Amino acid sequence: MERNDGIARDVRQRLDEAGVVALNLVSSPGSGKTLLLERTLDALGDDLNMAVITGDVQTQNDAERLARHTNRLVQAVVTGGACHLDARQIDRGLEAVDLDDTDVLFIENVGNLVCPASWYLGEDAKVVLFSVTEGEDKPLKYPKMFREARYAVLTKMDLLPYVPFDIDRAVSFAREVNPDLQFFFTSSTTGSGLDEWFDFIRDLAGRRAERPARSAP
Amino acid sequence: MHEMSVAMEICRIVENKMPAEGTLVSVGVEIGDTAGLEPDNLEFCLETLLTQPPFAGAKPVFDRVTGDVLRVTYLEMDDGN
Repeated sequence: MERNDGIARDVRQRLDEAGVVALNLVSSPGSGKTLLLERTLDALGDDLNMAVITGDVQTQNDAERLARHTNRLVQAVVTGGACHLDARQIDRGLEAVDLDDTDVLFIENVGNLVCPASWYLGEDAKVVLFSVTEGEDKPLKYPKMFREARYAVLTKMDLLPYVPFDIDRAVSFAREVNPDLQFFFTSSTTGSGLDEWFDFIRDLAGRRAERPARSAP
Repeated sequence: MHEMSVAMEICRIVENKMPAEGTLVSVGVEIGDTAGLEPDNLEFCLETLLTQPPFAGAKPVFDRVTGDVLRVTYLEMDDGN
């Protein structure tokens, strides 16, 4: 994996020099990554300069959806078969992004809880999403991903009355695998829990802005 | 996940590191239990690829460890002596 990780470290350095926070959003297909990003772009568009790179096996549907919520070009990577984004694709995608004019880079990975766990993209942190319509034992079934992630977003909270999902069990399973995982509980439909997520993003971006950009070694 | 493409990358690394003289006898690979790869599957893919020139039937030797390490540890050459 060294070839990928080497490129990822270069990406990391470019992001650091420009003072950009990068989050790698991962989840099963359909957990709500795109919708969460739509809400985020809407809510924070006036406060933060946000760039987005999306990854999908086929179509640029997600990028097109997100493009309606930002004036900036959304970089779409169509992998054509690969089930994860790799650092080379991020490296190339960033060529069209003005990093000096960017506070936060969101990477919306291919929907897949397995492979993206092994492919470092140069991000600050992975954010793993899973929804209340999935099993509570998701973290136990995909331990590598839940260990790699620093943050978890439990989505579709508005559907709780209709599904047999036990939040405490889900969080407990997740903490078994990764005791340090920080949770957000959201509904992109009702807006519940989104303020905490937005504040978290503002916080991350703000902290980065306060730190002077490190110069290259 | 992707055992074949990882096996191909291992072969690329081996080819780059192989000395010009001698025959490749074995390739040491250290693989961790959380590397995200199934060792038997990887071994099978690697064995298959190593039957091809310039490797001429070298054998993979796997050292299974804990953690997410994945690396080529050594190349054993037969220099005819």
